Amino acid sequence: MIAEYGQLALTFAFCISLALAVVPLYGSFKGNQIALELGNPLAYALFFLTAFSFWALSYAFWANDFTVVYVASNSNSLLPWYYRLTAVWGGHEGSMLLWLLVLAGWTAAVALFSRSLPLQFQGRILGVMGLIAVGFYAFVLFMSNPFMLSLPYFPVDGRDLNPLLQDFGMIIHPPMLYMGYVGFAVSFAFAIAALMGGKFDSTWARWARPWTLAAWMFLTMGIMLGSWWAYAELGWGGWWFWDPVENASFMPWLVGTALIHSLAVTEKRGTFKSWTVLLAIGAFSLSLLGAFLVRSGVLVSVHSFAADPDRGLYLLAFLLLVVGGSLLLYAIRMNSVRSQARYELFSREVLLWGNNIFLLTATLVVLLGTLFPLVHKELGLGSISIGEPFFNQLFYYLVIPFSLLLGLGPWVRWKQQQVQPLLKPMSLIAIATLILALGTMAATQSIQANLALLGLLLGAWVGSSAIFELLQRLQQFGSIKQGLTKLNASHFGMTLAHIGFAVLVVGVAMTKTYSVETQVRMKAGDQVELAGYQFKLVEVYDLKGPNYNGEAAELDVSYQGDYVTHLHAEKRFYTVQRSVMTEAAVHARLSRDLYVALGESLSEDSWALSLYVKPFVRWIWLGGLLMSLGGLIALCDKRYRRRTASVEQKDTADA
Amino acid sequence: MRKLAFFIPFVLFIGLSVFLFSGLFSDPMERESSVLNKALPAFSLPDLQQPDNLWTADKLKGKPYLLNVWGTWCVTCNAELAYLTELREQGVMIVGLYYQQPSDAAFGEVFNLAALQQEVALKLEQQGDPYQWNILDKDRSLIFDLGVTGAPETFLIDAKGMIRYHHIGDINPQVWQQKLAAAYQSLEE
Repeated sequence: MIAEYGQLALTFAFCISLALAVVPLYGSFKGNQIALELGNPLAYALFFLTAFSFWALSYAFWANDFTVVYVASNSNSLLPWYYRLTAVWGGHEGSMLLWLLVLAGWTAAVALFSRSLPLQFQGRILGVMGLIAVGFYAFVLFMSNPFMLSLPYFPVDGRDLNPLLQDFGMIIHPPMLYMGYVGFAVSFAFAIAALMGGKFDSTWARWARPWTLAAWMFLTMGIMLGSWWAYAELGWGGWWFWDPVENASFMPWLVGTALIHSLAVTEKRGTFKSWTVLLAIGAFSLSLLGAFLVRSGVLVSVHSFAADPDRGLYLLAFLLLVVGGSLLLYAIRMNSVRSQARYELFSREVLLWGNNIFLLTATLVVLLGTLFPLVHKELGLGSISIGEPFFNQLFYYLVIPFSLLLGLGPWVRWKQQQVQPLLKPMSLIAIATLILALGTMAATQSIQANLALLGLLLGAWVGSSAIFELLQRLQQFGSIKQGLTKLNASHFGMTLAHIGFAVLVVGVAMTKTYSVETQVRMKAGDQVELAGYQFKLVEVYDLKGPNYNGEAAELDVSYQGDYVTHLHAEKRFYTVQRSVMTEAAVHARLSRDLYVALGESLSEDSWALSLYVKPFVRWIWLGGLLMSLGGLIALCDKRYRRRTASVEQKDTADA
Repeated sequence: MRKLAFFIPFVLFIGLSVFLFSGLFSDPMERESSVLNKALPAFSLPDLQQPDNLWTADKLKGKPYLLNVWGTWCVTCNAELAYLTELREQGVMIVGLYYQQPSDAAFGEVFNLAALQQEVALKLEQQGDPYQWNILDKDRSLIFDLGVTGAPETFLIDAKGMIRYHHIGDINPQVWQQKLAAAYQSLEE
């Protein structure tokens, strides 16, 4: 019965989204106060109805209600309760409902936190959010309804959740990603609302900044969790695959990163206006494109949901309407805008422009790599595939100038920077870079001119520049102690995020260069040496879980005779889905991971095992974590609240 | 000029959409055959029933024919035998390329030609025999050169020994009418 209520709530929510798309926009163009003020309650209603609907589906999973088709195909009564709840977003329909919940959540948040914005502008933002919502609610309700029932003949038990998705990383990875994707809808709505108004100053950029930052923070977190999940769950020690769907999440991230920086220029200096609007449209458009690629089946990917050309067609039409419409609006409105601010060649504006260029080039590389096979085939030139070497090579070239700029950027003033005063700190940083990079190299491996050294140099350059810059900035307040209380949070956030990038670069370069692996056949008692570590297989025994059977291997690892750790690797056979999963054993340290995956049983007493030693692989996720933490800290900056308050005062003063 | 520049993103996006649209209606798993419009790879393989008789690419020239990759172990191949026999009765020349699966010595399997000949003869007697003759590709060398991904697959080869069509999957009346019939008839003339 609960599922029917969920369906009902979703239907009401769709009607509310229609109202939200029409009423506040009507009010904003006709100057109708009542219509404008209806925006907020509509947004809240949308959120509560969607939340109820989502709760109803979760309840169906919790209660093993297999009359619901979606529950029956994604859950099983043997599935532990926490995976039953996360199975809600384990398939296409439920993940779309999660998407709606996130969209309604962002809409309600905009209504709640933007009350200090001019009513007309807020009404337009909510209206644009409503327009987006109509498209998605209709899609879920009419084309991918999770509440479809199989009555009167319903299955006794369900088909179980895909074992790949039965993992902690999977519990929070999709919600985080969706928070990011859909969060860019808010930046998009701000940009479109500004375009509708036609009067272009930098105020919209100021208002859009915290929202963009929040979306970016979630997306960073989501991508990082996805990478970690793949590493832990897929059993071959990889952490990024350039899979079309990973690319689909990476593109909005790259554009979102460019947007954060470009918004800063627009807000502080009043330039880059048309550029920033384009990026705001671009970030959300790429999120939508990602949703299309994942859910239409045009590309082959491990992430794809069941392909359905009708769904694909609908999403493409929606994409055309939203992206095409907003780009057209952009083209018509933007060409009258001109930037007045002036800046010299060596200035922060130009460096941030460089940042944007590199990030957009990277986006273009990913976009081309992802879609070129499709274009190539549709042109009748045959099937091709573009893989890791293409992306890796182009990213090597891009990351070098990008990192060099990044080390320099925060030191450079707006408008104009003299070269002379920067010489001293820059040479100091260069010396620190050399010491750090060569020192790390000597301490962990041997000094060689290779990719790892390049990564360490770039990472150390960015990292030490960020730290020195922070120290110098703090000293300007008299003493470091005083500075710590006075310097604004967004500066700390920026520094932390830049350090995160440095850590990430070091992690990638070291892992790429120094990872070693071996596939071996082992019996209990056998010992294998890899990169100085002795892996000893102690025993292998049978395993019985709630919804799987399997085998577990116990290993002892020692380094030059000293005991390091005990490892427990599993191989599970999920009975309902009839699929085999590896639960790799990982011993993680900052300097390296030991990674063991149990393979096939080769004969009665011997097993195939994959052993990996991966130096610095933790740094990759640590870097991602630091970046999103930086975003969070920047978000706490007081001035985002103070500024909106002052806007309110100004508005009342104007009135 | 500057005004037009703002339309660039819009135009690029519309261009991309065209490809996305056409991509919706094609199967991303589909791969084009690499042997199309090339000559049949050179080979020298024995006849299944008369192993002394060696077939080569040259010997097969002279008349368009279907080269059908099959095996008695393949359920779908057995299912298409009846319709292929009908085609033979209509005058279509069909040559079988027998797909022998590797024998696993670990399981005590040894290749036994006499047993295979008997098995094939029995199968063709029961289900219908569409083949002029069968070529035995014991080590799957020609099958490898042809880029066969599984059985059944069928190649349409013209009188000069050029591969004109590569069909993956079984041949049934619908497939024949829609994909192969026209191509075969144009080669006949």
